[in-house]
Amino acid sequence: MKRRTFLKNTGLASAAMWAPSFLQSIPNRTNGKILIVVQLSGGNDGLNTIVPYRNDKYYELRPDIAIKENEVLRVSDELGFNPAMGDVQALFDEGYVSILNNVGYPNPNRSHFRSMDIWQTASDSNEYLTTGWLGRYLDSQCAGCDSPHAALEFGQGLSLALKGHEKQGFAINDLQQMERTSKNPLLRYLGQQDQHSHEHEEAAYLYKTLLETQESTNYLLEQSSGRRTRANFPATRFGKDLRQVVELILAGNNSKIYYVSLGGFDTHANQNGPQGRLLSIYAEGMKALADELSKHGLWQDTLVMTFSEFGRRVAQNGSRGTDHGAASNLYLMGGNLKRAGFYNNGPNLTDLDKGDLKYELDFRQVYANVLNNWLDAERTDILGGRFADLGII
Amino acid sequence: MLIKIKHLYQRAGFGATPAQWRQMKGQGFDSALEQLFVEAKQAPPLTVISFEETVEATMADRRKAGRLLTQQYVLEWLDRMADPTESALLERLTLFWHDHFACRSLFGHLAIQQLNTLREHALGSFRDLCLAVAKDPSMIRYLNNQQNKKNSPNENFARELLELFTIGRGHYTEQDIKEAARAFTGWGSTYKGKYRFRAREHDYGQKTFLGQSGRFNGEDIIRIILDKRESAEFLVRKFWNYYVSAPENEAIIQDLTTVYFESDYNTEVLLRTMFGADWFYEERFRGGQIKSPVVLVAGLRRSLGITFGQPQAQLRLLRALGQVLFDPPNVAGWPGGRHWIDNATLMLRLNIGAGLLSKREIDLRFRDMPELEIVSDPKTRRLEATLDLAPIQEMTTGTDLAADWENLAEYLLPGSSRLELDRLSALVDDTTGDERLRRLLLVLFSMPEFQTC
Repeated sequence: MKRRTFLKNTGLASAAMWAPSFLQSIPNRTNGKILIVVQLSGGNDGLNTIVPYRNDKYYELRPDIAIKENEVLRVSDELGFNPAMGDVQALFDEGYVSILNNVGYPNPNRSHFRSMDIWQTASDSNEYLTTGWLGRYLDSQCAGCDSPHAALEFGQGLSLALKGHEKQGFAINDLQQMERTSKNPLLRYLGQQDQHSHEHEEAAYLYKTLLETQESTNYLLEQSSGRRTRANFPATRFGKDLRQVVELILAGNNSKIYYVSLGGFDTHANQNGPQGRLLSIYAEGMKALADELSKHGLWQDTLVMTFSEFGRRVAQNGSRGTDHGAASNLYLMGGNLKRAGFYNNGPNLTDLDKGDLKYELDFRQVYANVLNNWLDAERTDILGGRFADLGII
Repeated sequence: MLIKIKHLYQRAGFGATPAQWRQMKGQGFDSALEQLFVEAKQAPPLTVISFEETVEATMADRRKAGRLLTQQYVLEWLDRMADPTESALLERLTLFWHDHFACRSLFGHLAIQQLNTLREHALGSFRDLCLAVAKDPSMIRYLNNQQNKKNSPNENFARELLELFTIGRGHYTEQDIKEAARAFTGWGSTYKGKYRFRAREHDYGQKTFLGQSGRFNGEDIIRIILDKRESAEFLVRKFWNYYVSAPENEAIIQDLTTVYFESDYNTEVLLRTMFGADWFYEERFRGGQIKSPVVLVAGLRRSLGITFGQPQAQLRLLRALGQVLFDPPNVAGWPGGRHWIDNATLMLRLNIGAGLLSKREIDLRFRDMPELEIVSDPKTRRLEATLDLAPIQEMTTGTDLAADWENLAEYLLPGSSRLELDRLSALVDDTTGDERLRRLLLVLFSMPEFQTC
C-alpha cells in the first residue's frame, strides 16, 4: 500500500527523526535486571545430572549408566550432582542456585522439535502458536525495550521463543561476519533509503528491518569492543557465547534478555562420556559467568534459567543410553533468589507415565514467576494468566 | 498486460525465465493463463526408486539412510521447480498442499509417495486429495493413526483433520473428534509404504458426528465434513493467504467459497476463477507477498540458470532461511509472511545475490544441526554456482544505463525501483559486458523489493 502521507512528511524529517530511538535515549533498563536463558538442546538427561543417589529403583533401571553413589557430589540426603557439575555445586553452596524437580507439562510430546516449540511458545501440547513467550513479552510488556536488540540470541537464526507479533529478538552468530555484511556499502546505501517511500508495506518492513539490523550491529560491535574479560570461560562455542554476553553486560549494553544454547544432549548411546563433557562445559561456563558478574556487582541483577525440551526415559536402553522422556529438572541461578536450594522433592521413580517421570510443576509456572517478579510484566497477557506463581524469584 | 502476466507468473509460479519474459511481451493474457494449466496437466510424477533399490533397504542405519533419501527427493523437487520446461503452477500448488497437509517425513520412500499423491490430486478434487492423504503412510505415522485402535483410540489425526485440514475451529466439538477418531481406527500402513486396513482394530459401531449418526468409517467422516460449506470457506481462506497474501476481502472470500463449494471442491476451477479475476491483479496486491525461501531459491534459479557446484548446499541455504521441506515446524505448517524475516535471515537473503554473482562467500556453517551431518561435505557449506547469464544479457543494451536498469528492474522487481542514477552509475563504474551485467544484477538482488512479489 502506498504511504503517501509519509511521503508528504519527509520534507520535515530532521536528522533526529532518523537516528534510532535507542541511541537518542540513555540506555534504559527500567530496573537493570537481566535474564539469561540457557537452552540445553537435545533433551538433557536430568536424572544423571541431579542424581537420586539413595534410590534403589534408579540403580535397578540403569545398571550400566547410573552415576555411582560414591561419585555423586552430594548436596542433600537424597540428591547430588553429576561429578561433572562441580562448578555448579560451588554456586549451589553459595545459595545462588534453585533446582526445580519434575518440571514439564500435560500430555508431553517426545519429539525434539515439537517439545522445543511447546517450551518456546509456552503452548499447550495440542496448541500451535507462532510466537514465543519472550517475543510476546517484547511485544507488549517490555518497558525500555525500544531497541531491536532488547533480546539477543547467540546462534545462526532466531528461536521461536524470541519471535513476537510485532517485535522480535536479534540473532548474533559471528559478530565479525556481521560486521562485514553491515559494512557492505551497497547495503548501507540501501538501508539509508527512506523506508516510507517504498511501494508496499512489506517492502517498507524489510527496509526498516535492514536499517535496524545495521544500527544494532554497529552498536553491538562498538559495545563488545569496549570491554574484554579475562575470566576463564570454556574454549568452546558455548563458552565464547557466554564470554560475549558478559562483555556486553559489562559494557553497559542495553539488552535485557540473552539467549544461549548448548547442544548435543540427545544421548541415545553410550551417554555418560558425552553427557559428562557437556555438563562440565555448562558448569564451567556458569561459574565463570557468576564469578565475573559478581566481581562487578552485577550478579544480583542477573537471573539465569536453564531448561531442556524434555528429560529422558528412566530406564536405560540397549545401547547404554537413554531415549526421549518427559518431565525433568530446571535450574535457576542468580545472586538474588528468594528460595535457593531444592524447590521440591526429587522424582518418584515408582510412579511413572509410560516409563517417564510425571510432571509436578508446569514450566509455565516458572515463566510466570520470571515474567512477573523479574521482568515486571503482567504475565496474564503473555501466558493467558493460567499459572500460579512459585515464589522463587 | 505485461504487468498482469508478470504477477500471474510470480504468484502462480516462481517468476518467469528470461525466455518466458521475452515471449510474454507478445502474448495475450488468456493464452498465458491457459498455458500454465496445460503445462500442469502434462507434468509427470517424480521418479520413484523402488523400496528394494533404495539405499535404505541396504544401509545399516535406516534412519540416516531414510533422511538421505528424503534429501535426494527434496533436491529433485527443487530441480522441477527451477526447470523452465516443467510446470511452475503445479509445483507451486504442490508446495501449497505440502504446507497445508504439513507432515514431517523422515523416510524417503514414504516422503516421495506423499509428494506424488499431492501432485496427482493437486488440481483435482479436494475430496479425493483429502481421502488420499488420510491413507498416506507418512501422514498415518506423523499423526499417530498407526496407533489408532478400537480399544485405545488415538485422536491426533482426527483432531488435525478437523482443525487444520478441513473445517477449522469453531465448527465441531471435542465429542466430534472422539467419534471421528473411532471411524479412522484400523487405518494403518506397512513399513514399505502401503496403506493397510486392519479390520480387527476397526470400530464398526455406531457413531454420531456433526449431527449425523451411522456406522461411519473414515471415508464417511471426510464426506460429512466436506458436505459443509464452512469447509470450502476454510480452504478458500488458506488459498487466499497463499496466493493473494493480503488482508481478507470478505465479499471475494464468499464468492470464491461459492465457486469451490458448488464445483464440489474442484481446485482447478477455483484457481482459474482466482487467476482470471481482475481483482487478483490490483496494484494493492502486487509486491505484497514476502517470498518463502523455496520460492526465492526456485525463482533465482529460473532467472539465472544456476548450476550448483554442490546441489546439497541448497539444503543448507533453505535451513538457514527457515524452510526445510518434509520437515515443517509443526502440523500447522510454515507461518509464512513476516515470520520468515529476522535480522539474520534478512541479511542472508540480501547477500545471496552477492554469493552467486561475485566471489563473496556465503557461509552456511551450522553450529548444531545433527540432521545435516549427512551433508557434512565441507564443500556444501559454500554456495558455489555457475550461471547462464546470456538470456538475461539479451534484455540489456550494454550501453544505456537507465534503459538497462529499467528493463532488468521491470523483469525482477514487483514494482518500480527508485534508485538514483548517479549512485547506480558509481556502482557499475566503467565495467562492460558480463561484469557490468553482474553489477547491475547484484544491486537488484540486494534490494529488499526483490524479496517480495
